[in-house]
Amino acid sequence: MFGGGTRDARRTERYLDGLAAADERRAVAAPADADLDPAVRFAASELRAGLTRVHPSFRFEDSLAARLASAALRLKAGLPVEDLAPADGPATMARFPGKSAGATSHDASEAARRSAHAASEAATPDRAIRQPVSLRRLPEIASRPSRPLIVGGVGVGVASAALSLGAVYVAWRHSHPASGRMGRAVKAAHGRGASSAHNRRTGVINGILGVVSNAG
Amino acid sequence: MFSKSEEGSRPARLDRDRALVEAARRDPSRFDALYRKYLAQVYSYAFYELRDHHAAEDATERTFMQALVGLPRFEERVDAFIASRPALSADDAADISTFRVWLFRIARNVIANERRRDRRRPVSSLDEVGEVSVPGDFVDAAATREAVNAAWEAVARLPEDRRRAVTLRFVDEMSTAEIAAVLGRSEGAVRVLLHRALRSVAADLRGRLS
Repeated sequence: MFGGGTRDARRTERYLDGLAAADERRAVAAPADADLDPAVRFAASELRAGLTRVHPSFRFEDSLAARLASAALRLKAGLPVEDLAPADGPATMARFPGKSAGATSHDASEAARRSAHAASEAATPDRAIRQPVSLRRLPEIASRPSRPLIVGGVGVGVASAALSLGAVYVAWRHSHPASGRMGRAVKAAHGRGASSAHNRRTGVINGILGVVSNAG
Repeated sequence: MFSKSEEGSRPARLDRDRALVEAARRDPSRFDALYRKYLAQVYSYAFYELRDHHAAEDATERTFMQALVGLPRFEERVDAFIASRPALSADDAADISTFRVWLFRIARNVIANERRRDRRRPVSSLDEVGEVSVPGDFVDAAATREAVNAAWEAVARLPEDRRRAVTLRFVDEMSTAEIAAVLGRSEGAVRVLLHRALRSVAADLRGRLS
């Protein structure tokens, strides 16, 4: 019915299916087929051992998850996602729905996978950003416990950092008045050096927080 | 087990990602579950094809972004698998994911575009494989690394279509029917591709050993 090549190809397929089934059962013994080409058996054994699944870095995984969440929000709002800036979107907090109960062995596998990868990254910090980790027969992970994700971009981060630095600088200047001649002259002219640095700092903080002092 | 097909009254089998796909269609933010489930598979496929971590990351990102946007247009086509494999058992049918096939078709197109866009990218000698870290459940990490290197080099020397079939079979653990659907070939063609690929790999490895 079939030519020799087709028959051999079918036999190879059956053997590979048997290997996959043995993997699922965690069986050590490979399926036996006396008529199978030994070269096929040898190659299949080598490829099973050598072709590992590769996982990207967790940094990449989480940043892509954040971009997908941002795109999902836009889709939900009826906005196009083609012009979605990958690293400059508005900062929001998003919580992905996760498995709330009924933890499975996948969770344990995931924990082991993460710890293995963490150890790998710690060992080679310079490559931690971009190196993937290779795993044999990685389990499929349907979902993970929910965790908050910061969906934001570089622009938001820079603006936030600049505002923080500005506030710190203003507070520092108020608590460290100029010590030059002009500064001393101003201090002498006011003649009220009694206010301590603590009071000045409190005043600055109250000013920032919008607290009106009733004292004096 | 059965539901109404989207195209009409013909019954369609539920595939294993049906619930996740339906949830993501109702609420796109729930696409995350599908993303986490298939990230490593898609990334691996891209990495084996492109031989570059950054290129694989780009391809992975485009693949999932396109899948998210295109999800409303995705249609389950389990019936096609059943028609092509009359001997398929109910358990096998329940194990089919047409979403995965659809996702890998997107990945295949994205990778093809990536290649077209950057023809000058050299195919590496797979030296990077030596740097891939292997978790500690292996008795002999050095031997494993050697096996990884040898397998990668042998696969890298295969013609493109055989290499893809081998990657989908051994890395992504797809069935012949799934590989055929991803590559747009008949199951018979995929069977022959795999058989010839294994013979080539065996000859290659034995040549190196001798």
